[in-house]
Amino acid sequence: MSESAVEPAAEPGTLVGQLHRAAQGAGGLRLLDRRLEETWLGWAELEARAERVAAGLTALGLEPGERVALIYPTGKAFFDAFFATLLAGAVPVPLYPPVRLGRLDEYHRRTAAMLRAAGARLVLADPRVARLLGETAALARPALGVRRLDELPDGSPAAGTRAPLPADLALVQFSSGTTVEPKPVALSHRAILAQTRALNASWPGGETIRHTGVSWLPLYHDMGLIGCVFAALALGTDLTLLPPEAFVARPALWLQAISRYRATVSPAPNFAYALAVERVRDEELEGVDLSTWRVALNGAETVAPPVLRAFCDRFARWGFRREALTPVYGLAEAALAVTFSDLGRPFVGRRFEREALAEGRARLDDAGVEIVSVGRPLAGFEVEIRSEDGRSLGAARVGHVWVRGPSLMDGYLDLPEATTKALRDGWLDTGDLGFLDEGELFLTGRAKDMVLLRGRNFAPAEIEQAVDPLPGVRTGCSVAASWLPEGADGERLVLLVETRKGISPQDAEALPERCKKEVLAAVGVAPDEVVVLEPGTLPRTSSGKLRRQESLRRWRAGELTPPDAVGPVGIALAFGRSTLAYARAGGRRGRG
Amino acid sequence: MSHRVLEGIAEVARRYLDWQGPVHREMRLVEDLELDSMRLFVLAAEIENHFEITLDESEEGNLETVGDLADLVGRKLGV
Repeated sequence: MSESAVEPAAEPGTLVGQLHRAAQGAGGLRLLDRRLEETWLGWAELEARAERVAAGLTALGLEPGERVALIYPTGKAFFDAFFATLLAGAVPVPLYPPVRLGRLDEYHRRTAAMLRAAGARLVLADPRVARLLGETAALARPALGVRRLDELPDGSPAAGTRAPLPADLALVQFSSGTTVEPKPVALSHRAILAQTRALNASWPGGETIRHTGVSWLPLYHDMGLIGCVFAALALGTDLTLLPPEAFVARPALWLQAISRYRATVSPAPNFAYALAVERVRDEELEGVDLSTWRVALNGAETVAPPVLRAFCDRFARWGFRREALTPVYGLAEAALAVTFSDLGRPFVGRRFEREALAEGRARLDDAGVEIVSVGRPLAGFEVEIRSEDGRSLGAARVGHVWVRGPSLMDGYLDLPEATTKALRDGWLDTGDLGFLDEGELFLTGRAKDMVLLRGRNFAPAEIEQAVDPLPGVRTGCSVAASWLPEGADGERLVLLVETRKGISPQDAEALPERCKKEVLAAVGVAPDEVVVLEPGTLPRTSSGKLRRQESLRRWRAGELTPPDAVGPVGIALAFGRSTLAYARAGGRRGRG
Repeated sequence: MSHRVLEGIAEVARRYLDWQGPVHREMRLVEDLELDSMRLFVLAAEIENHFEITLDESEEGNLETVGDLADLVGRKLGV
């Protein structure tokens, strides 16, 4: 950011240009395995490798602007495939590899739905993953097939590269990975570069510190790819990457890597901080020094104050600075971050009166609910709170969070209707609810139907449909929603299920447990609570659609009552069971 | 030998997944052991550590029961 431009060297306008500039230096990616053994991938080596692969993609017949799905674990091949796709003028779509030991049928359906939504012409995959993708390919039929990098034809390097323009698409990422209405978020080079510029301008210490990051975040997630990899690329600096599965199996590896490489920046979602508190043992931290860690970003899911405090207390002995913890807010549609809380200041939680919040006003109250500030807009971004009908609301009024800034998506790929709903006059409707207090954003909930658990987004319909086949369930009459209960370490998932008339008492009694297992098998997480309801209890719109957020609100307020107040015996029974299940789930806090 | 494999899986489940009940071959990993996707990750990684083997994703697909997992581990160990 030098104002006295002595030399007019053009600032690169695309990721490809940034890779080329970074390749002139000595920086790069340090890839660790789960034994923390290093593989070095310099930006220069990466550019050379990607050029070779790009030639193969062009020889294969890939055309500029076409989408290429990438399914890789964290490793060199991901980056080869990613930058080769860009160099060939095409658009990468990173998707997640199969969950270990998971059900493949569900994975095939979900991946095929995302391939279709992204209009992927080609799938590039890790050899081990490629062998599993037969069924996905049969469902989605990408025109150029599913290929490994070593299967690409030879091509002439000169013909391989077609420099993209700043306005071209650089990335398609999914706001939630789902079989139901997957929404591919289309981001231009310009948007991504604006995002990383804003991020890199936010790190403390200005020019005096050369920041270096450690990340275990998956590369198919914006916080890992844009927030870590592209932010490092923009500066040509080093970044240390751990595979996400290594972190999940041994959370201590994250802290060990930060210490070993004297990292200054490392982000993670709320659940990861909880997991570290729960699972890292003292003996794993021998010799670990966390005092270099200046920015511990906490974003991508609802920030729970108890987790922040527990993390600070637990790791202070190893030099962790309380002021490093930085709650942030962002979303895929804005290419990642929108607000940052003040760096260099401990996180701020304020207490607000519950009744006033429910009425849409924020009023400080020492006995109220604690909400963590996610801070102020990044340079170049604006946040506005609006009413349901789009009027701008003043400070301390709860409403819909709208944002404007240089890194907003172009739109949802090939979904003009959804795009028009989300983007209006350069502003993005985030679907989140919150208020501004002294210029800082506090989030109170969501207007959009999205279940957010452990850094993953789920479409509620996916969870609800899983229980439809169960005996006694009224088809299409369930609601899944998640929220952060006071004092909890993360969001909880509740499933509200209406039964058919005349359900047998045995089926009614067995229903919560059955629902739990079905949902777990279908989407990989279990509801913390299942509430069995009489038919007609859930609120609907005039056109008969379920109102999920209103259902959640009423249930939390104890206002969810059947249309006629008869026969609550079965319900009381089910309530008892689900409360038990909830207590059990609570007892296994931080289970992952 | 296959009994020892099952015992090893049960030990991993107890130590790393807080599983307190018995572990049988017929139990399904997701429904009966109540493993969500993150805990499946942990199970896979800790099975590898415990038995000092490397599991390959392409062999893991559609493992449904503890017995399926025990057989896979057994094949890796050559028992």
